[in-house]
Amino acid sequence: MQDINIQLPSILDQVLQSIPYFKAELALIIAFLGSILATLFLDKAWKQSSFLITIIGIIVSFVLSTQQFGQPQSGFFGMLIVDNFSVYARGIIQIALLICVIFVQQHFQNKKFGKNLGDVYSILLTAGLGMNILTMTSNWLLAFIAIETVSISSYILVGYFSENKKQSEASMKYVLFGSVSAAIMLYGLSLLYGFTGNLDFTSFEHIQGLIEAPKILLSIALLFMFVGIGFKLSFVPFHMWAPDVYEGAPTPITTFLSTVPKIGALVLLARLFEEWTSSSFFFSELVLILVSVASIVTMLAGNLIALRQTNIKRMMAYSSIGHTGFLLMALVGNLASEPQVLLFYITVYTIMNLAVFGLIDTLEQKIGSAQLENYQGLGKQFPILFSVFTLLGISLVGLPPTAGFIGKLFVFTSIFDLFQFNNNRYYLILLVVGALTSVISLFYYFKIPLFAFLRKGEAVNILPTKSTWIVYIISIILGFSTLVLGIFPSILLSLFK
Amino acid sequence: MITLTHFLVVSACIFCIGLYTVIAKRNAIMILIGIELMINAAILNFVAFSKYDKINYGGQVFALFAIVLAAASVAVGLAIILNVYRHYKTINPDNITDLRD
Repeated sequence: MQDINIQLPSILDQVLQSIPYFKAELALIIAFLGSILATLFLDKAWKQSSFLITIIGIIVSFVLSTQQFGQPQSGFFGMLIVDNFSVYARGIIQIALLICVIFVQQHFQNKKFGKNLGDVYSILLTAGLGMNILTMTSNWLLAFIAIETVSISSYILVGYFSENKKQSEASMKYVLFGSVSAAIMLYGLSLLYGFTGNLDFTSFEHIQGLIEAPKILLSIALLFMFVGIGFKLSFVPFHMWAPDVYEGAPTPITTFLSTVPKIGALVLLARLFEEWTSSSFFFSELVLILVSVASIVTMLAGNLIALRQTNIKRMMAYSSIGHTGFLLMALVGNLASEPQVLLFYITVYTIMNLAVFGLIDTLEQKIGSAQLENYQGLGKQFPILFSVFTLLGISLVGLPPTAGFIGKLFVFTSIFDLFQFNNNRYYLILLVVGALTSVISLFYYFKIPLFAFLRKGEAVNILPTKSTWIVYIISIILGFSTLVLGIFPSILLSLFK
Repeated sequence: MITLTHFLVVSACIFCIGLYTVIAKRNAIMILIGIELMINAAILNFVAFSKYDKINYGGQVFALFAIVLAAASVAVGLAIILNVYRHYKTINPDNITDLRD
């Protein structure tokens, strides 16, 4: 106790000095409080006040985080790492979050329900806060708090509206599955803490403790830890919640769930992976094998099950599971190359998913359904929409001349480099499965143009809704940007230098 | 003399009981209780291990945060289960299967 009294002033000084590194997140926190207050008091006078505060908060946070570019620092006793990798990741997260907020606002604009939309904006901000923190930490405590922040926010987002049976069922499945995963992860972390006595997974003591730990217990602890991360990334076998939740949740919330939370969890896993696989001890090989096997199984399962889906949201859920497998492969490839490959693929994935779900939302507002058979013959009624949809399908498969192709090409190249370097058979299997599943995915993405353009169907009555055009235009712009980035990938790559 | 091993054995038992409660799902509230047991097992571990970490007390701080987060997620979980009950008039997860392949 005596020691703490002496150290206290210096501890406080360091905490105060670290606050500037936390500016971008503070902006989100202030916007969160502001949007709650605006929901309570200002929304009666002017309905859009909380929406405006949310948008301003995200933009301010984006600007503040870009200012941290190029000055690697660490604050709060090494708990918070501000480096270029985290600046890029936070930039992507905040842009995606901004688009999700606009989608939410547009989707619920002319729906009558007894709940306040301002609450959804504030919850989206806390989810963004958790994601931001997740990208800039290597400390298990902070990582766990961030994961739980995002998870609890996501449960509320899915369950908040509960307009019908399906939505409440989806939220219950999500909350039960998520809490169990978090509890198992917490137990794994407690074992890791027991082995090492240190919570920072990049520290010397942590690595030293992992080297000396008994093998069986260490395997259990790592498996438990991967359960939590696997739930957030939804890789197989922790993917069961994803299709149900994606189908049940309102489409703008699905847009959010399929993009933003994955970025943060992936950046955390990338830091962990880079630090832990650099040695040749037991735990390094175990982590490498776990991630490679998860990647292979996820790519196969996601793409194969997607083949027999009839609901487009459910199909996109399995497609995003398949893409998670590919993102894990990009993570492994990250060992050989700069983080640009991973960041490029994350960006492209985010753009494609935002655009696809934006288009699904537009169609859902217009024809009132997300079933594939209801798209029959709609190609004539919405030629531009379905052309962009087809383009996005091409990009999701990974065919030239789209950004999806360039992303996959980079990942395959870096994995091939790794394979030539040390002839590990896991890399070869990753390559084969990655190529194979890309071919498989062709069959279900092309169902969309097949139904829309080649099947005959009677003309559909367009529901009299207004105000879907902002979502529509954003999706069209994002769709064309995949084409632009496919032809000129250097735009994005020079940004990630 | 109560050693570290005693704590670990007790926490492993609590964790297994919690996991069994979750897997033998009959009632969504029981699943939440199982989750709570698992989290408490982890917290017990953290506090027990923290005896050997006298510099940072990382384990005890983690335990405090874990308690808060567990309470938050259980509160959200109960609200959602109440919502499900309004729609389905049951909270047995086996009977709530509108969404499936």
